[in-house]
Amino acid sequence: MRKEVTRLALLATMWATTSVYAADGVTTGPHGEKPTPAASVTLTAAEETQIKDGKFTAALVWHEMSEYTNAVNNGAQDEFKRLGIEVVAQTDAGFDAARQKADVETVLAKNPSIIVSLPVDPATAAVVYDPARTAGTKLAFVDNSPAGYVHGKDYVTIVSDDLFQMGNKAAIAMAHALGNKGKIGYIYHDADFYVTNQRDGAFKATIGQDYPDMQIVAEAGMADPARSEEIAQGMITQNPDLDGIYVTWAEPALSVLSSLRGAGNTHTKIVTLDLNEPAALDMVKGGNVAALVADEAYNIGVTVARAAAGSLVGKSSQPFLVVDSLAVTKDTVADGWKKSLNKDVPATIADALK
Amino acid sequence: MPSANTAASGRPNGFANRINLQQYVVYFGFLAIFLFFAIVLRDSGFLTVRNLSNIVLQTAPATIMAIGLVFVMSAGEIDLSIGSTVAVSALAAAVTMNDYGLVAGVLAGLGAGLLVGLLNGALVAYVKLPSFLVTLATLGLFAGVSRSMTDLRSIPVTNGTFTGFFGSGAFLGIPSLIWWTAIAVAIGHLIYRETRFGAHVLAVGDNSRAAGVSGISVPRIRLTVLMISGGLAGLAGLLYAGRLQAAKYTLGETDLMTVIAAVIVGGTLLNGGKGSIIGALVGSLMMGMLNNGLILMGLSVSDQMIVRGLIILAAVAVSLREKSR
Amino acid sequence: MTVNAEATQGAPVLRLQDIRKSFGGIVAIENFSLEVYPGEIVALVGDNGAGKSTLIKIISGVHPPTSGTMTIEGETVTMSNATMARAHGIEVVYQDLALADQQSVYMNMFLGREPTNRFGLLDRRRMIDETEKLVKELDVRIPSAHATIRDLSGGQRQGVAIARATHWASKLILLDEPTAALGVAETAKVEEIVQSLKSRNIGVLIISHSLDQVFKLSDRICVLRRGKQIGVRETAKTDKNEIIAMITGLQHS
Repeated sequence: MRKEVTRLALLATMWATTSVYAADGVTTGPHGEKPTPAASVTLTAAEETQIKDGKFTAALVWHEMSEYTNAVNNGAQDEFKRLGIEVVAQTDAGFDAARQKADVETVLAKNPSIIVSLPVDPATAAVVYDPARTAGTKLAFVDNSPAGYVHGKDYVTIVSDDLFQMGNKAAIAMAHALGNKGKIGYIYHDADFYVTNQRDGAFKATIGQDYPDMQIVAEAGMADPARSEEIAQGMITQNPDLDGIYVTWAEPALSVLSSLRGAGNTHTKIVTLDLNEPAALDMVKGGNVAALVADEAYNIGVTVARAAAGSLVGKSSQPFLVVDSLAVTKDTVADGWKKSLNKDVPATIADALK
Repeated sequence: MPSANTAASGRPNGFANRINLQQYVVYFGFLAIFLFFAIVLRDSGFLTVRNLSNIVLQTAPATIMAIGLVFVMSAGEIDLSIGSTVAVSALAAAVTMNDYGLVAGVLAGLGAGLLVGLLNGALVAYVKLPSFLVTLATLGLFAGVSRSMTDLRSIPVTNGTFTGFFGSGAFLGIPSLIWWTAIAVAIGHLIYRETRFGAHVLAVGDNSRAAGVSGISVPRIRLTVLMISGGLAGLAGLLYAGRLQAAKYTLGETDLMTVIAAVIVGGTLLNGGKGSIIGALVGSLMMGMLNNGLILMGLSVSDQMIVRGLIILAAVAVSLREKSR
Repeated sequence: MTVNAEATQGAPVLRLQDIRKSFGGIVAIENFSLEVYPGEIVALVGDNGAGKSTLIKIISGVHPPTSGTMTIEGETVTMSNATMARAHGIEVVYQDLALADQQSVYMNMFLGREPTNRFGLLDRRRMIDETEKLVKELDVRIPSAHATIRDLSGGQRQGVAIARATHWASKLILLDEPTAALGVAETAKVEEIVQSLKSRNIGVLIISHSLDQVFKLSDRICVLRRGKQIGVRETAKTDKNEIIAMITGLQHS
């Protein structure tokens, strides 16, 4: 029984720390860290030479491969290449903590100087990374770090989105699309996942604080993306007069889009997070999608790689580095793609823009 | 009934070749992949004791699930629910252990697995529903149960005795996960090959009517194999919980296909009547070695998946082609 | 009805008296009485749907008769499943043989009745030895006791099925169309094996569509038509025309 109480208390603390943003309106790190702009991470020419001479190696241990991870991965690969660090292994845990543990053990056979990773399950990830920590490998994380790990001693840094900024920018984009007033549907990620929770919360908080003429009249939690279509369908059926719908990320937003199309609804606007080609195409063609808020995912990869490389030559980093985000609309889509993913906008969208 | 003419023609030579190939595909495959990695990755840590023992440790839960699946598939059934049974068992063990201690936790974990097996088994054996559909349904059902049990949270497992016994500990200098694998394989092999029960499982999978008229209780065999599979998936859940010192609803989700592939590559027929526990062990180690080696080769994640898929396809194609005629 | 054959000796292994079987309101077998003596081969003939399969199921314990008595070596028995029939020394060679194709000959010989050693483990040595002994005695030519059933020819499989029945039957073997799926040479071989069962002092009841085979193998012939017993004849004292007439019910065909 006592253990149960302790656990609940622990959980409450975690909630408390992640809820801080709502009060002061900034992203905080998973352990309450203050954010520092990613641009602050720089290396001098001397340091770069020292790194290049070190013949270092790195391994990338991802939680799952997605468009987002891919962009981060590309950023890290490019930066490591620039610094003469060989990437010796790359893994995908498929959201499975047990597999991520196996992946860490496996890449250690190559004795990498650096492991860059996004922990599947931060609360219990200490066990996953302990073999690397013991081996003296430099650990640098994306989005979150294992509970109990100490910055500067056990890991180099955490690099993440400016999560509050993303939710905030989504709210601003929504207000812009609706002329600062209207009824909004809010589809949030119903899971204990720090990244989506902060973004969703920031959207809701911004609407509540800054836009008195906009109301969230319908809320729906989505635990399983595969069921997003039903959730969207239900929300639209019950509230046909919604002016806008916020969706926690782009893939479920496509389900909302298809539901709206199915209902012949051209009036309700969608704002969502992350770049996604079909959603962007709808936006460019003047459909329901009004804005896509994107993080500079590629830049996360560059930053985490650079910070990790710096640590090899004794340069320390701030505990929680955040990259900027941007609201991509019809007018800024080409630029947004470049900034976020370091890629040219897909041909279909480029054609539609002409 | 097969016609006498086709059965009689060209028998002796084909017979000998077929038996050899189909039984040893997995061993040749294992050896070939091992040699390939040993040569290609000779300077990359593949051949270190630590890396090789990692492979065995990492595949321990999958190997134990595979043993259960050999029994199920040999009886002509399938158990897809193992993918979510692992998580339910691990979570049941973790939650119970934190409140009521070690023994209760272990019993809860194994009990959860056996209960899933009992449900599957009762529906297949007595309600006479196809196991594919029953376990497909319970796969989803218990995935839902494990998600709702803890609101998607992961539950830490702090009992040091448990994590030592089922996870990171060692006995006589040998890691406990290797003990578990060895014991499960040894007992599984003995029951499968040397007992009347094992013979009856094969008979039911081979020709359930013949087994029935020979006095074998076909429903009882079907129930039992599904309970064995559930119980072993429960044990796999305990091993995961011990190794990760935590339980989460995602445990085991990605194992199902690996385990099925390991069992089939290991020489167990999808339709029943023939199989091998040792083959499943080697099949499972082969899968683990493949994951390990492809990562160490420095391939991108997509390339790893493509190569792994092609190799599994080739192995399954060779072993299945030899078995059908 | 009853014919006293000179060839028979002692009490019948099987005596059926006034057996009647109905399913719902439909009568499948009426007033059927028959005795089978040790060392005797009795053939059961009749057109399709005459009730032969029902009769086999009654004798093998699958369907208990609606009325009538069944006696095994003088003892009246009631059976509710095939396991009880086996316990009484009755074995059936089914038309589909009921063999497990992926298993070895010896495992099939002992299917469901595998012997174990004192550790509770399968006594393979004993199964193999007994199998080899028996296939040799019956002259069933198979490559080895280890051979897998699916690698055997149809005749060899039939031989294994008969050998299995012979091994376990202490009173009676029922053979259901033993050569229906076989070629000429294999049929001859199986007929030879059946013939050799006479020396084992057990009763044999054989169902066959081939009158040639019936006349070659049997001591007596029992004819069924539409669930009714038309008559029993000593094979030596009848001919095909009489039997055909009894089967079809047409006197001058």
